[in-house]
Amino acid sequence: MSIDELADMVRNLLAEYVVNVEVGKDLVHVEVKEENVIEAAKRMKEAGFDHVKDVTAIDYPKEGIIKIIYHLSSYSKKELSRYVVGLGYSIPRDKNSVPSLYGVWTSADFQEREVYEGFGIVFEGHPDLRPLLLAPTVAELKPLRKDFIVKEEPIFKK
Amino acid sequence: MSKGNGDGKVYVGNVDVAAKKARKLLLGKLKLGKLVDWGTAFSLWPVHLTTSCCGCEFAAAWSPRYDNEQHGALPWVGSRQTNMILIEGTVTRKMACALRVVWEQMPQPKFAIAMGACALDGGIFYNSYNIVRPWEVVPVDIYIPGCPPRPEAVARAIIELQRKIRREGLASKFVEEGWRPDKEYVKPKEDLCAWWKG
Repeated sequence: MSIDELADMVRNLLAEYVVNVEVGKDLVHVEVKEENVIEAAKRMKEAGFDHVKDVTAIDYPKEGIIKIIYHLSSYSKKELSRYVVGLGYSIPRDKNSVPSLYGVWTSADFQEREVYEGFGIVFEGHPDLRPLLLAPTVAELKPLRKDFIVKEEPIFKK
Repeated sequence: MSKGNGDGKVYVGNVDVAAKKARKLLLGKLKLGKLVDWGTAFSLWPVHLTTSCCGCEFAAAWSPRYDNEQHGALPWVGSRQTNMILIEGTVTRKMACALRVVWEQMPQPKFAIAMGACALDGGIFYNSYNIVRPWEVVPVDIYIPGCPPRPEAVARAIIELQRKIRREGLASKFVEEGWRPDKEYVKPKEDLCAWWKG
């Protein structure tokens, strides 16, 4: 299966949910709307994408949005296991709760917790939403958002 | 011990006073303090608490090539059987709790060596939101600069600590006084284990 065939497959699979599809080298990125993401995820799982490689979020302060991206791949289907498909959606920056995809892919567990501690995004329906690596006092600062100011110190104190 | 009821004798005395007298006799008149310092200097057992990447160099320092055991130091796993801690690199906020707990479990007299640039003043993470400085958590005796320090530098630090113990008589002073007079008791400014208690 070539990358263009994979892009067509994903386009047909998520027919009415697709907002935008980007094709790169060994990577297809699909953008959907937030309210359709669980149905889209279920369809992707039925098609053979059986695990989440990565969950991440990108902050765009100028546009006022945060993009949440799930990188999917497959262990069970050999022709899909070569590729990574990104399933993403964007939410406004001031919105704090999004649906969790733990119910679809169990492997999203720790990685949604990592997004939660870095960006302060609450995944509704996650069974154990605690900060993963950071202490709760640090996670309250939402340190991975772009408006978090990192303290700069001079080398020699004045 | 049964209380005296006729046939046995009961000796009543203040154990603390007797121990203090014995200490003064042994360390003052008989000059056993030097023996205590010598013994402590060559039985520095560091606890292997790997907080960061300097742990690789720490492990290499005890490998056959650099063989730090010849200096009388042997890494050990149980914190209650060690008397030295080698802080191996960055200490994150969560690991600071473990560091403090291990430090308080270790028996006296105990010594601390801070290893690597991160343990000195943050290193490449100098402005990170998630690290603490080790000298805010435990009282540090020797600092090793480097990112990471070579195993030779670890050996150098151990030898320097041995010299310091024997020159300043740290161990015998501890036996005499009951605490380390040369180091202030470091108390962390914030509750390091707050995240763990929940």
